[in-house]
Amino acid sequence: MNKTTFRIALAGNPNCGKTCIFNALTGARQHVGNYPGVTVESKGGSFTLNGMNIELIDLPGVYSLSSSSPEEEVVFQELTKPGIDLIINVIDSTIPQRSLYLTTQLAELHIPMLLTFNMADDAKKKGLKYNIPKLEKYFGSPIVQTVGNSSNGVQPLLQELARTLSKLEDHGVPMLTYGSDVDDAIKAVADKIDELKIEKYQHIPARFFAIKLLEHDTCVWRLDEFQSVHNEVEAQIRHLLDQHAIEADTFMADRRYAMLSGACRDTITITQERRREISDKIDAVLTNKFLGFPIFLAIMYATFWFTFTVAEPPMEWIENFFGWLGEFVGGILPEGFFNSLIVDGIIGGVGGVIVFLPNILLLFFAIAILEDSGYMSRASFVMDGIMRKFGLQGRSFVPLVLGFGCTVPAVMATRTIESERDRTVTIMVLPLMSCGARLPIYALLIPAFFPEKYQAFTMWIVYIIGIVIALIAARIMKSTLFKGEGEVYLMELPPYRMPTVKSMMLHMWDRSKMYLQKAGTIILATSIILYLCNTYPEKTEFSQDYDAQIEAVQESKSLTDLQLKVLEETGLLEGEELEAVKEEKAIPQEILDGWAEEEKEFSEIQQAVVDAAQEQNDEIVALENAQMNEALEYTVSGRVGKVLEPIFAPMGFDWKISTATIGALAAKEVFVAQMGILYSEGEADEESEGLRATLSKQYTPLQAFCMMLFALLSIPCLATLAIIKRELNSWKMAVMEGAGLFVLAWVITTIVYQVGSLLKIGTTIIG
Amino acid sequence: MSEKKCSCCCGSQEVDSCTLAELPVDTKATIVKILPKARGRKKFADVGIVPGSELVIEAHAPFGGLIRVKVMETSMALHKNEAADIVLRKEGEA
Repeated sequence: MNKTTFRIALAGNPNCGKTCIFNALTGARQHVGNYPGVTVESKGGSFTLNGMNIELIDLPGVYSLSSSSPEEEVVFQELTKPGIDLIINVIDSTIPQRSLYLTTQLAELHIPMLLTFNMADDAKKKGLKYNIPKLEKYFGSPIVQTVGNSSNGVQPLLQELARTLSKLEDHGVPMLTYGSDVDDAIKAVADKIDELKIEKYQHIPARFFAIKLLEHDTCVWRLDEFQSVHNEVEAQIRHLLDQHAIEADTFMADRRYAMLSGACRDTITITQERRREISDKIDAVLTNKFLGFPIFLAIMYATFWFTFTVAEPPMEWIENFFGWLGEFVGGILPEGFFNSLIVDGIIGGVGGVIVFLPNILLLFFAIAILEDSGYMSRASFVMDGIMRKFGLQGRSFVPLVLGFGCTVPAVMATRTIESERDRTVTIMVLPLMSCGARLPIYALLIPAFFPEKYQAFTMWIVYIIGIVIALIAARIMKSTLFKGEGEVYLMELPPYRMPTVKSMMLHMWDRSKMYLQKAGTIILATSIILYLCNTYPEKTEFSQDYDAQIEAVQESKSLTDLQLKVLEETGLLEGEELEAVKEEKAIPQEILDGWAEEEKEFSEIQQAVVDAAQEQNDEIVALENAQMNEALEYTVSGRVGKVLEPIFAPMGFDWKISTATIGALAAKEVFVAQMGILYSEGEADEESEGLRATLSKQYTPLQAFCMMLFALLSIPCLATLAIIKRELNSWKMAVMEGAGLFVLAWVITTIVYQVGSLLKIGTTIIG
Repeated sequence: MSEKKCSCCCGSQEVDSCTLAELPVDTKATIVKILPKARGRKKFADVGIVPGSELVIEAHAPFGGLIRVKVMETSMALHKNEAADIVLRKEGEA
């Protein structure tokens, strides 16, 4: 037999370093997908070894094969499918007894197995010594020791793997028995199964199924093929209970531990036992009943501080780059439709999203550190009590924090929540965590409408409103729609580990990728559609002849020679600027704004000239705006905005905000760009002083606050709806979520606006 | 080890016998039995929470609810509701 293609399954406990081994073996040739019907990630990869093509399946981490979680069911399904040549069982060699529990069950499948004792370095430090040949005999499988997180640590695995694959036929038989009483029962059931001669499971020994049936394994119990032996199984269980007083559902587990402790006593020696490991010492502080929560808050604060501080410079670079790109492309393309579509629509729209990439990357990087080091599971432990009061649980916590970055990967991260109910509720409230896409809206509006000293406070208030409403909503949903007893909670707190750079990068990238994909697809499309809606149909005939009027104003209000002379002689202007002003007989608004900014002092005559110039500019701008307005009202955006105005009016939104808000339902980032276009500020971003000034003349702080509130509470983007549909496997839930959030946002914003108007809070225009 | 039948503490009236939900932090104890009505018996069994195993109560979560125990050299967090069904025999301070 000269087999050259092998299918290998990688199995092991959660946190045993399986992913490290998988990455080391397959490198970049990986594909990630989903097992059909369940939210368990399926990961595969391939590599070649000594000319053999190897397909590697990375099974989800499980403690057992007892189908008590979706992951365990997936592992069961995969391993009972024919065609697996070898199982690589990864074992955390620092805790052999617990890790080998799964091995005892895998061995019953009689598929050749290679045991990989991972984290061999840690085990050595712990003083564990293995009698490898003896252990190999026990499990009937070769054993190799590895250090998964170092580059050379998996080399022995590759050598042993090549050797094992070359002589697959003569793998040994494990010396594992359940004790004569139980073994008799197993044999009785197995004999009955053998009589059935089930074609489908020919490749798996009847003994495996007999054991599963005897422990009432739901997966095997469900299979029609074994229906006819159920009576025999029940009889055997009754017999065991009567004769030996063994409890039905846990006696197998009991016996497995018994045989493991026997095997371990024989083969493992402990030379030094460090009573309290470093990890425990850290935990005595970090999960302390009193210190745990304050430390947690400090770590969260540090995470966000890190994210926002470090992200600032790269954000500036990206912003400058897109500004430059816009100008550059605008310069080489001929004026007209394509020019403005590409520059204003595409570069402006997508650029506005990419600018926030550093923020997202850094937040996800920080979270990767917390996750890989093991702190996140401590945070879940610390927060569980609070979360439970709101109908959530400790495991909801990580996704909620990710939600501050981008809702899409956050929804994906809810997969760790075992209880389907808790998971649904977590997903439903996740969009209320203020995601990175809403930042540009706050960043535009807050400085424009709120005094400097209250700006940070306003930002916090917005975030906190989101959190509070999310918690209340979760509470309400849990006590109405999703009532009932939750799943049994059981969570491992793995020892602290130094995270490796490689795994953190992978983690960060996996999640940020989704944000980028969103930028490339939905935001690109929305930017183009909105640009078209803002431009067409084009108005050619206006109610007044604006051009003539503007010309008339330029004519009648132009600066007189005397006024120009004042400018020149008092030295207010010189050089090129002066020449330009003389030519136009007007002072450009930028120069006037510049003077206003530096609070320049003028003499009486100078002041008169400046005032005249300002008056001229104001009149022209007023006319231009009126024309622009007419043109905009004529476009699709204007018409839609006008039609929907009555719906948005109770929240204090005019038709312009309404169109921006509708655009923002597709993706929040669009809001700022849309406001910029509607207020003819060209490529607007959240740093546009011009747009801020215009807005502050148009709206009250209350209105601005309502805009932020609505943006916070409504759905972040279409990608969120798509991912909710995928993760909950229901269009109904996704649509309900979108509609529900819209209603929630409308009701709350309306209340705030109406009450605010009544009490006259922030109702004066400040500009 | 399954023969370790215990005649003294199944009534849970004994001084040394109580449930996991009641024991203070830093106590070492041996699991005597897991009540038949307990939810998740199998799940617990899979991580080594079976009669005869030794465990140490490591911490109680700050806002109640979760208990952290070390069993089979691994720290596991479980909820008080379920812990109340796990009967232990106290072995002393950890």
